[in-house]
Amino acid sequence: MLRRLHGRGALFDTEPPGLAPRLVGLRPHHHIAAPLEHPRELPFVVLTAGRGLGKSAVLGELRAAYQRHTPVALIDCEDPQFLHRPQARPAQAWSPLAQALLVIAEQLAEPVTGARRIAFPRLMSGLIAVAAGGWGDADTERIRWEVQRMLLLNESGSWFAGFAARWAGRVASKAVAAAISDDPLVSAVIEATMEAMTERSAGTRQRRASTWYRTYPNAGDRAELGLRLLSDHFRAGGTSREHAERHLVRALLADLTDAYAGVRAHLQRLGRPLVLVDNAHGSPGRELIEQVLRDRAEGFADQVAFIAAVRGAGGQSSLRNSVRRDLRETGRRTRWTPADTASSRALLVSLPPLSSDDTLHIVDAVCTGTTTPVPAELPPATHRLTCGNPLGITLVAESARQNLHRLAPTAPFGALLTAELALHEDREGRPAYRELLDRLVPADRLDELTVLAAAHDHDSARALAAAQLPDDFGPSSVRELETRLVAEGLPAVPGQFVGDAFVRTLLLLRLHHRHADHGKWRDVHETLVRHYEGPEPSAARYRLHHELALGDTGPAVAYLRDTFHTLDTRTWLGTLLFIASAPYFHAHDTEGHDFAGGDHQRARIAFGHTDAEQRPPDGVDAVLHLRVRRLLHAVWQLTDPLVLPDRRLCDRLRYELEQLSNDPRASNALLWQASQEWPEAALTGRPPRVPGDEDTTDDDRNRNDGGA
Amino acid sequence: MARSGFRGFRGFRGVGGIGAWLREGVWAIPLRRYLALLVMAALVAGLTYGIRKATYDDRSCAPGVVRPARSNDCVGVSTTDYAFGQKQLAETIGAIDRENRSLTNGKGGYVTVALFEPFTTTDADILGDVLHELQGAYLAQWKVNHDANGEGPPIRLVLANPGRTGASWEHTVGEIERMTKTSDKLRAVAGIGLSTAENTLAVRELTRRGIPVVGTSITADSLANGPRSGPGDPKPFPGLARAAPTNTDEARALASFAKVAADRAVLVYDDPGDPYTLTLQASFEKLLRGSRYQPWPFTPLTDRTKEGTTANDFRQIRELLCDTAPGVNTVLFAGRHTQLRQFINALGKRGCMQRQFTILTGDDASYLTGDPKLDPEALRHGISVRYTALAHPDAWFKKPPRTGGSAADAQELNELLNATTAISAAKTDRPSPIGDIDLEDGQLIIAYDAMRLTVEGIREATPRGRTAPNLADVADEWTLIKGSSGRVNGASGWICLDNYGNPYDKAVPIVELTPDRHARFVEIAWPTGRPPQKDCLPPS
Repeated sequence: MLRRLHGRGALFDTEPPGLAPRLVGLRPHHHIAAPLEHPRELPFVVLTAGRGLGKSAVLGELRAAYQRHTPVALIDCEDPQFLHRPQARPAQAWSPLAQALLVIAEQLAEPVTGARRIAFPRLMSGLIAVAAGGWGDADTERIRWEVQRMLLLNESGSWFAGFAARWAGRVASKAVAAAISDDPLVSAVIEATMEAMTERSAGTRQRRASTWYRTYPNAGDRAELGLRLLSDHFRAGGTSREHAERHLVRALLADLTDAYAGVRAHLQRLGRPLVLVDNAHGSPGRELIEQVLRDRAEGFADQVAFIAAVRGAGGQSSLRNSVRRDLRETGRRTRWTPADTASSRALLVSLPPLSSDDTLHIVDAVCTGTTTPVPAELPPATHRLTCGNPLGITLVAESARQNLHRLAPTAPFGALLTAELALHEDREGRPAYRELLDRLVPADRLDELTVLAAAHDHDSARALAAAQLPDDFGPSSVRELETRLVAEGLPAVPGQFVGDAFVRTLLLLRLHHRHADHGKWRDVHETLVRHYEGPEPSAARYRLHHELALGDTGPAVAYLRDTFHTLDTRTWLGTLLFIASAPYFHAHDTEGHDFAGGDHQRARIAFGHTDAEQRPPDGVDAVLHLRVRRLLHAVWQLTDPLVLPDRRLCDRLRYELEQLSNDPRASNALLWQASQEWPEAALTGRPPRVPGDEDTTDDDRNRNDGGA
Repeated sequence: MARSGFRGFRGFRGVGGIGAWLREGVWAIPLRRYLALLVMAALVAGLTYGIRKATYDDRSCAPGVVRPARSNDCVGVSTTDYAFGQKQLAETIGAIDRENRSLTNGKGGYVTVALFEPFTTTDADILGDVLHELQGAYLAQWKVNHDANGEGPPIRLVLANPGRTGASWEHTVGEIERMTKTSDKLRAVAGIGLSTAENTLAVRELTRRGIPVVGTSITADSLANGPRSGPGDPKPFPGLARAAPTNTDEARALASFAKVAADRAVLVYDDPGDPYTLTLQASFEKLLRGSRYQPWPFTPLTDRTKEGTTANDFRQIRELLCDTAPGVNTVLFAGRHTQLRQFINALGKRGCMQRQFTILTGDDASYLTGDPKLDPEALRHGISVRYTALAHPDAWFKKPPRTGGSAADAQELNELLNATTAISAAKTDRPSPIGDIDLEDGQLIIAYDAMRLTVEGIREATPRGRTAPNLADVADEWTLIKGSSGRVNGASGWICLDNYGNPYDKAVPIVELTPDRHARFVEIAWPTGRPPQKDCLPPS
C-alpha cells in the first residue's frame, strides 16, 4: 500500500509498531492484530502542532488506515454543524458536544470486517431525552425526523432493521399527544423510549442498557427518572448542562464497552474503536477531552482510542500538566503512565517539521511525470524555505509541478510562490503564497500580520501598528496578536515578531505585492528605518537591514566596511548575517523600483562585475570597500530562501571570506572558518552561522532571525 | 448502496486479493477462523471419506464374509441372515437367523455349530442339496432348542462357506477356528456334503486343529476314519463323525440287496476317480472278484459336474455291454451323477434293446431326480437304476423292521415339517417357514439327523453346571454314541457310531429312479445284511 504521509512513520509504522497500531491494536490498512502498548489503560493522545504541520492529514490518514477494520469516527470541531446551532433546534436542547456525540456514534456504528453494527442504546435514550426538551412547539414531522436519526444509533443488525422507523412514529405520536394534552412531554417521550428498549423483541443488551440511567444521581434506581433529570440538567445550561453532557459522553463509552464485552465480541472484533477529533482546541473537542479525561481519572475506564489534534502546543488548562512527547520519541513506546490528575491521562504528542529527506520524497512524489525536470537544488531549497512545514512543501511542490514549465529558466525559486496555483480543477488559480497564507495564518488578522511581519519585537511592532495600521489596532492588540501566535504554535523567536521564518517570508511577500508600486512595502520599511534611527550598533543593524530591504545597500556596505576593524569579528559576522537576511523580492534600482534588466543584480555585484563602475568613497580602503560590498551581496543572495543556491557564488563567497581572513587586523581564524562553513551550509540549505555560535539557536525554522 | 456479503473481500482488493482476504478477513477474526477451521475439517473429512469410498475396494460381503483377492466368491462364516446371493436359500437362512437372534438376545449361553457347505455354488443340483441340508439343519436346531425337556446348551447355527468349489477352505477353516476361541463358542462343524478333494483337506485341517466335524452326506471311505480308510493311521481325521454310511457299507448293503453274482455283472468306473467313486469302485471290485470281464473305465473332467467327453466313452461301453454274455444283467457303476446320466442316456440307445440291465450305484445318483437332461425313455425300455439313498421319506412307513430305526422317529421330522407350513398360528412356538420341501433326495433327512448327532455329542460332552463343552470332549464323545440309550434315533434310522465315528449297520434305503425322475423306495438294505440288534452295539 502506498504511504500517503511522509515523515510520520513513528505513528503508522508496522515494524516496529508505531503509536497508532500500539494504541488501536490493529496494523494500519490491514485487518491484523497488533500488540497493545497500554492493554489496561490507554492515554488520550492529543497531537499538537501549528498550522500546516499536518494534523488533519494525519487524522485523515488514520481514518483511512482503520476504516472498515475497526469502528472509526472523525469529527472536525470547526465543522459548521458543531459551531452553529440549527435554526430548528432551540438552544436549550442542543449543544455542540451533544451534536458531536451523535455524529461520532453514527460513524462508529458502521459495520466493520467480521462484526456487525454497534448499537448505542444508552446514548440514544440520553440524546432523545435531551432533544425532547426542545420539542415544546415542534411539529410532528420534525420530531419524527430527529427521533429517527437518534434511533438509528440503536440499529445493531439486519434482522433488527425497521426498529427506528417503527419507534420514531410511536415516540413522535406520544410527544404530540403529550403536547396537546399538556402532559409532561419529556416524560412521555422517555417512557416511550424505555418501552422500546424493554419490549419483548429487544435483546439482552438492550434490556441491560435500559437500566443504565438508574445510576444517574438522584434517580432513585429508576431509569426513567434518571433520563428525566438528564434532560432537565441539560436544559438548565451552565454547569448543570456540563454535568448532563458528561453523562452523555459516559453513555457513549458505556455503549462501546458493552459492544466489546462478551465472548462473541472477543471472537469477532479486533483492536479498539478509534475516535479522531480534529481542531479539538475549540468546542466541542475541548469539552470532550475534558469529560473523557475526567472520567478516566475518576475510574470510569473505557477502551476507546482517542486521538485528538489541537492547534498550538496544547496550552489549554485541561492539558496543562499532561505528558509531552515529540512524535519521534513515541516511535517505539510512549513511556506514558497515568497519574491521579485528569490531565495526566492525556499524552500530548507534538508533530515535528519534516526532514529534508521527507521533503525530497514529497517533491519527487508530486513532481513525478512533469515535462520539465525538477532542478536538483529545488528539494533542499524547498526545505530551507518551508522549514519542513508539510503544507508548505506540498504546495511549493505542487506549484513547481504546475508552473515550472512556464517559468523562464532564469526565474528565481521565489517565482514558484508568486505563480498561480490551482488546487482544484474547478477553481481559478491564485498565487501560491496566498493559498499558503490562507491556511497558515489566522484569516481575521492577515492584514495586520502582513504589516507586523517586518517587525522585530513588541516595540517595533507597536511603532509599525501606529504608523501603518488602523487606529483601533493599538498596543494591546499587538500584545494580543503576539499571544495568539504563540498559542497557535508559532515559535516565539527573539528579534522577530513572527517567529516562524516560513510564515514571515510569506507575509513579507504579501506585503511586497500589496500594491503594484510596492508603496506599502516601502512605507513599512521606512517606518522601521525611522524607528531604528540612532548611532548605537544594536539599532544600526536593524536600520541597515530595512534599508537593504528597500534596496539601499550603500549604508550597509559603509557600516560593515567601517566596523570591520573596530568591531569584534564575531559580532561583525553576526551583523553581516543579520543585515543580509533582509528580504529581497525583486531587483530594485537605486530608487527602490523594479529593475528592468533581470534578477541577477546581487550575483553580478557579488562576482565583481560592477566593481569597475563603483567608486569607493574617498579616504576609505577601496579594496576592503569593494570586498565588503561583494561579500554582502553574496551572503544576501545565498541566504535568500527564495533563490536557489548557486555553486559558483558559493565559491566566490569562500574566496572573499578567505581574503578577508588574510587581513592581519581581523580575527583570521573565525573568518577562515566562516569561509569554509558558509558556502557548504548555503549549498545544503542550512542557515549559515557565526562559527562557534552554535548554541544561540539550533532551530532550522529561525535561521533568518538575525541572531541576538 | 446495497450491502453485500462480498463487501469484506472487496475491502481487501488493494492489499493482495483473495490471499489477503483469507489472511485478514477470515484468519485474523477468531470467530471466522474457528468456523473456517471447522468447515475445512469437515471438507477434509468428507473428501477423505469420499476418496476412500471411491478408491476402496470393499471386499466384505457381510459380517464375517469376504471376497478373497482375485475372487468374487463370498467366503467365510456368516452369522447373519446374509444369503450368499442365493434367493432359494434366503428364507431358510432368515429362519436360522431368527432362531440365532432369539438365542443371542436371551440371557442364557449358547454353543455355535457351523454348517460347512458350498453356499455360493453355481451348480443347481448341488445348490438343491445345500438348500435341503440347510433346511434339515435348521429343523434340527429348532427342535433341540425348543425341546420340552429344556436340555442345554442352546445351539446357534452359523454358515461356513468355503467357496463354490471349496477352493477357499483354508480361509473358512481359519475363521471357524477363530470362532472356537471367541464368545461364539463354536464347538463343532456339520455339513461337508460332498466327498471332494477340497473337502477332504478341509476336514483334515479342521480335525487337525481339534475341531469336531460331523459329515452329513459324505460317503467316501477315504473321508472317514477306520482301518478301511487306507494304509497307515486308522484315524486320519480325529474327531470326525458321520451320519451317512461309508461307500463300502453302502456297497455291502447294495450287494446284500441285489445278491449280485460276479458272472452276471460288470463294473464301469471313474478313472482316476475321486474319494467317493474310488471307494465305491473298491467295494464293487470285492463283489465282482472272479468276474469274466475286466472293469471298464471312463475318464471325466476334474470338475465332474461338467459334461466333458465321457459321453463318447459311454457309447463305446454301451457296445461292449451289448457284447457281453446274455446272462449279464447288472452294471455296477462307480461314478458321479453327471457321468451316470450320460451312461443311462447312452444305454437308452443301445443296439441290444432286448436285453435288460439294472444299474447299481451309490447315493450320488440321487441327483438325477432333479436332472432335466436325463432321458426318461431309457428307464422305460429295460434299464432300471437302483442306488443306495442316504435316506428316504417312505423308508419307515412300509413294513418297517423292528430295529435299526422307526416310523415314529421319521414321523417326528414330518411333524416338524408340517409345523413350518401350518397356516394358522394355533401353535405360537413353531419353526419358521423354510420354503419348498423336497424329502426325496434324503439330504434334508440326513442333514437333520447329522445335526441331531452333532448336538447329541455337544450336549453329552457338556459337564453339568457348565454352558459349553471343551472341543476335545466333543470330539471324544462320538465313540459313545451307541447303545440303546446313547444312539441317535434319527429320521433316517438309528445312528450308532463305531470307534471311528462311522455309523454301524446304518439302514440304507435302496431306491429306484423312475422315468418321471423320482426316487421310488424299494426296500431297506443293511450293510451287515440284517438290521442291528436292539442294543445297537458294533461288534469288535
